[in-house]
Amino acid sequence: MKVSRLFGLAIALMMLLSLGLAPTLAQDCEGEVIELEFMNWWGAHREALMDTLIGHFEAENPCIRVINQVQPWDNRAELLATAAASSNPPGIIMSTRPETYQFALSGLIIPIDAYVEAEGTDISVFYDGEIGLQYWNGELYGLPMPTAGLISPLYFYNKNMLRDAGFDPENPPQTWQEMEEVARAVTVADAMGVEVLGTSLGNNGDAFVFWLYTNNGKYSSDDGRTLLFNSPEGVETLEWMVNFTNEINGGVENMTDFFQDVNFSQGDHPFFDDALAMLHINSAAFGHLNNVEPDLYWDTDSWGVMIRPYNGDNPDAKHTGVTGYNFVGAWAYTIPAAHPPEKQAAAFKFAEFIGVHELGGCAFLFAQSRPSPVQACNENPAYYEINPYWDKVKEALAVDTPVQITPVQGQLAEILTNSVEEAFFGVKSAEDALNDAHAEMQALLDEFWAEFDANNM
Amino acid sequence: MKLRLQEWWFRNRSLIGFVFIFPWFAGFIIFDAMPFIYNLYLSFTDYQIGTVGVPPWIGLENYSEIFNEDKLFSKSMYNTLYYLGYSVPLRLIFAFFIALILNLRVRGMELYRTLFYVPSVVPLVAATVIFAGFLNTRYGFLNQFLVLIGAAPVRWLSSPDAIKPSLILLSLWGFGAQMIIFLAGLQGIPEDLYEAAAIDGGTGWQRLVYITVPLMTPTIFFNLLMGLIGGFQVFEQVFILIGTHGGPLQAGLVYMLHVYNKAFRDFEFGYAAALSVILFLIIFVLTILLVYTSNRWVFYGDAQDNET
Repeated sequence: MKVSRLFGLAIALMMLLSLGLAPTLAQDCEGEVIELEFMNWWGAHREALMDTLIGHFEAENPCIRVINQVQPWDNRAELLATAAASSNPPGIIMSTRPETYQFALSGLIIPIDAYVEAEGTDISVFYDGEIGLQYWNGELYGLPMPTAGLISPLYFYNKNMLRDAGFDPENPPQTWQEMEEVARAVTVADAMGVEVLGTSLGNNGDAFVFWLYTNNGKYSSDDGRTLLFNSPEGVETLEWMVNFTNEINGGVENMTDFFQDVNFSQGDHPFFDDALAMLHINSAAFGHLNNVEPDLYWDTDSWGVMIRPYNGDNPDAKHTGVTGYNFVGAWAYTIPAAHPPEKQAAAFKFAEFIGVHELGGCAFLFAQSRPSPVQACNENPAYYEINPYWDKVKEALAVDTPVQITPVQGQLAEILTNSVEEAFFGVKSAEDALNDAHAEMQALLDEFWAEFDANNM
Repeated sequence: MKLRLQEWWFRNRSLIGFVFIFPWFAGFIIFDAMPFIYNLYLSFTDYQIGTVGVPPWIGLENYSEIFNEDKLFSKSMYNTLYYLGYSVPLRLIFAFFIALILNLRVRGMELYRTLFYVPSVVPLVAATVIFAGFLNTRYGFLNQFLVLIGAAPVRWLSSPDAIKPSLILLSLWGFGAQMIIFLAGLQGIPEDLYEAAAIDGGTGWQRLVYITVPLMTPTIFFNLLMGLIGGFQVFEQVFILIGTHGGPLQAGLVYMLHVYNKAFRDFEFGYAAALSVILFLIIFVLTILLVYTSNRWVFYGDAQDNET
C-alpha cells in the first residue's frame, strides 16, 4: 500500500473518530460546550489519575470539557508567568501560594468569594490551616489540593539500619539529640564523600525555617510584616545545622554530592539502597514509594515514619511542621481574570470539584495514599488499608503550623537561602548570616508593604 | 519580448534585490528590531507581570538600582567574565589545535573529522546531562581518573571553587563549530607558501607561527568575536547543570541566569529588560573595540596587496 494511501486512510479514520466523539458531548450538553484548559504540574505519572478525575467531573458537567494540560517541571517559572500574563491564559491554573499571591496582587486572577457564596460551596470542610493559606488581602483566590501540610513534619527511616546500628527501630529519634546519636553511628564517609548517611538536615533557607519551628522559633509575625527568624532560637538552629553537617556528614559539599542525580519518585534514591537511614520528605513520598517499591511499601519491618525531631534541650520546643512557607507548598487552582464570566464560572465548578468533591481531590489523593486538605476525606477508614502509617500522617497534620508570607516571598526566600549557604560554607557565622539576611529581607518587605499600603489606602 | 524583459529586469534590479531580501528584512524587523526597541522602552518602566495598559515610566530607576543596590549584578557579571576569560581562549586554542591535526593528510581523515564534529550535533541538553554524570564526585569518570593517577578528587558541582571550572570544561564540548571554520580557513592557505618555507629550511613550528597563524587571523578574529558574544549569553547549560540558584554560594550565577530570575521568578520584567540592555551595551562596545583593534593584528591579504 502506498504511503499516501495509508496517510489518507489515517486522516479519514481520525475524522470518523472525531465525528463519533463530538455528538457524545453535544447530545449530553444542552447548550454550548465550554472548553477549559487545565494547566497543571501533576506530572506524567499521575496523568491517568487526573484524567479519571476529569472524567468524573465531565460526567456531572457535560457542558464543560476539561483539557488536561500537564506541564513539564523544567522551565516551570517562565511557562507559568507567560501563560498567566498572556491575553489568552489557560482556563484554570495550578499555582503555588507565592504565585497565587503574586497573581492576585497583579490582578491576573480573580477572587472566588462571590462564586463560593453563589454556589453554596462549603469551605468549612477544609482544615482551617489549609484554606487559610489561600487568602490574600482578605479575599479567597483558590481552593487547595493537595495539602500544604505534611511538607515538612514527617521523616521516613530505615528500620534495618537503625537495628544494625544498635537502636530500637520501634523508637526512632524524637529529638535533635537522639537524631544526632543515630546519625553519628550510621554515617560512613571517605575522601570521595559519604557512602552511608544518617540524615541530611538540608542546607537552604527552607530547611532552616523547618528546623527553626522545631526549636520554638518563628519566621515572621502573624501579620507578615516583621521577620523574626534571627532570634536566639534561629541562631541556635542554624549553628546546630552547620555543626551537625560539618561534624557528622563531613560538610555541606558531601551532602550536595550525596544527593546529586537522585530521584525518589523514580526509585533512584539512597533510601532504597540502605544507604540513608532517615529521610525528611513530604507526604507525596507515600505514593512514590508504593509505585516504585510496592514490596518495600508494605514491609513495615523495614521502614517506618516519624514526626520531625525537635530540640530536646529547649523546654518550649516540640514536634512541629511548617505549612505555606516554601515554594512547592500550598497549591491551589486559580482562575485567570482574562476570561469571560461563563468560562470563569466553569473554571470555578472544576476548582470546586477538585477541592471538595468526593470523586475529586479526595479520590485523587487517596489513590496516592496521601492526605487531603478536606478533613472528612482523611477520616475514611480505607486509608488504613492503603497507608501503613496513616496514624502518623494524621498526627503530623495536627502539628503543622501555617506561616504568613507575601507576594515577594520568592525574593525573600532566595536571600535567606544565600545567607544560610554562607553559614554552611563558613563565609559568615550563623549569627552574622542571619542578621545580614534579616536586614536585607526586612528592607525588601518594608518596601513592599509601604507600596501596598499606599495603593490600598 | 525577451529583450524587453531584460531591460525591465535591468531597470528595476534594485527593486528585485529588495524583494529577495524582504523575507529576511521582515523577520529582522518583527523578531529582532521591534523586540529590541520594546525591550529598551521597558527598561525605563516598572513593568511587572499583570501590568495592564501602559507600564509606569520610571526613567533611570532600574539602572540606578542595578548599579547601586543589586549585589547579584556584580556577582553575575564577575562570574560571566571569569567564564569568558577562560572558556573563550581555551575553546579557540582547542578547536584550532584539533583543526590543525585534522588538516594533516592521513588516511581516513574524513572519518576523524566526522568523529570530532559529532559532539557538536548532540543537543546541548543531552550533552549537559552527560556532563553531570561525568562530573559526579564519586562515580564520575573525571574523578575516577584523578584517583587512578593519585590525585585528589574534585567536587566539581558542589564546591563553589569548582563550579566555574566545571562550566568552562563543559563549554569545550561545543568546539566543533569553531573547528570546522578553522579547518576551512586552513585549507584556504596556499600550499606554495609552505613549500617556499620548506625550501628556506623553515621548521614546522616556524611554519605554524609565521605562515599559518598570520593567515588564519581573520578566522581567529571571527571565532573570537562569536565566542565572546555567545559566552556573554551563556545560559542553557548552566540552567540545566546547577539550576536557577547558580550553585553553591551562587558561584555559577551567570548574567543571563540573573536576568532570567528577575523576569520569571520575581516577575520584574522592566528590571530584567534593563539588565539585558546593559548586557547588549557591553557586548556592543566590546565588539566595536575588537573590530577597531583588529586592524592591528588581523592579517587581511587583499588589503596588503592593495597597499603594495
